[in-house]
Amino acid sequence: MQYKDYYKIMGLARNATQDEVKRAYRKLARKYHPDVSKEPNAEAKFKELGESYEVLKDPQKRAAYDKLGTNWKAGEEFRPPPNWDEGFEFKGGGFTGTDSSAFSDFFEQLFGHAGFSQANCGAQGFATRGQDSHAKIYINLEDSFLGATRNISLSAPEIDAHGNVQLKHRSLNIKIPKGIKPGQHIRLTGQGEPGSSGKAGDLLLEIAFNKHALYRVSETDIYLELPVTPWEAVLGATIKVPMPDGNIDLKIPPNSHQGTKLRLKDRGLPAKTPGDFFVVLQIALPPANTERAKAAYKNLQHELDFNPRLTLGVKRL
Amino acid sequence: MKSQDLMPVHTGAVIEDDVLTLGQLCHACGVHADWIVSLVEESIIEPQGEAIHVWHFTGASLVRVRSALRLQRDLGLNLPGIALVLDLMEELNTLRAQRKTN
Repeated sequence: MQYKDYYKIMGLARNATQDEVKRAYRKLARKYHPDVSKEPNAEAKFKELGESYEVLKDPQKRAAYDKLGTNWKAGEEFRPPPNWDEGFEFKGGGFTGTDSSAFSDFFEQLFGHAGFSQANCGAQGFATRGQDSHAKIYINLEDSFLGATRNISLSAPEIDAHGNVQLKHRSLNIKIPKGIKPGQHIRLTGQGEPGSSGKAGDLLLEIAFNKHALYRVSETDIYLELPVTPWEAVLGATIKVPMPDGNIDLKIPPNSHQGTKLRLKDRGLPAKTPGDFFVVLQIALPPANTERAKAAYKNLQHELDFNPRLTLGVKRL
Repeated sequence: MKSQDLMPVHTGAVIEDDVLTLGQLCHACGVHADWIVSLVEESIIEPQGEAIHVWHFTGASLVRVRSALRLQRDLGLNLPGIALVLDLMEELNTLRAQRKTN
């Protein structure tokens, strides 16, 4: 078991006031809260923070923790001195954190098992059926487009017969229904937490899509940014476009411009009401890296006498 | 053949839009119905249907209710604060998704 420096985690001096502890928690909680944070390991950081705050906000737990002394280094192998908690009255009360089952061994060693029993009961008033559990899974756009079977790994903290928390891993093969969209849920009946009457809750899987190299998905619509040459856009052309299920020949109408959106109806995600496939034109400039290319641009300049800044009200030099 | 090929394949039901009843939503999120009602009153989630006994929620409500629960518990936000955070986060996520991938 490793020593944890709760003060260091919260960025506090050891003589910080209770008000400072609270302010530091609020500030860091906003920064690392998994619902709002963009930090890479927000969830782990937030758990660590919650555990630190659980100790430091409570004057009794804090005093007991302080009594361990200041000679410990974070991560150092730790064994509590005998009778270190003598005279502190926190055993009975347990801790109040709702997610305390996720706290570290270090915390558990110091502050005991009390409270673990409540950590698992969760919902109020649904004694008969187990609680539904939730997980978010990432799939590829093609999985939804074509339908697929995917193997997913899930892990959940579980309390064993001795009251210790252990991460339980399991893996499931699940069918990805064709046309499912980001944010939608799949319900797997009976795969949630076991219930007291034997009837287990459901497992609810929230679907999210991995980032795709070509496409962007919004609801059931799929967007593709398609590079085209200036002459393809102006004169019109028929070009090959990669769709999730193979290439198609797409007709670009003449006089298209940068950002022109072409809609292929019902070619988005094949949901009950199918989405659309949008091609957004991006005009790519040919490089002028040879004398011939430069001559071609000069010729264009001479022939067209084009001023794109007319609406800005400035005269060309 | 990989070992996972030997396991059964689970076929779940897709939670379509507007199918969750108040009871199902409560059970799925492990919260009391009163609290869901207060979320509706704050317009944090919006059910279809006029009266409470015919309310139906979208699958997306599941995500909002569970986020709301965590925001209240972890950050001590009140309901108007939760509503604001969730709306801003949704806007941010939309903008992030639209931003060019390269």
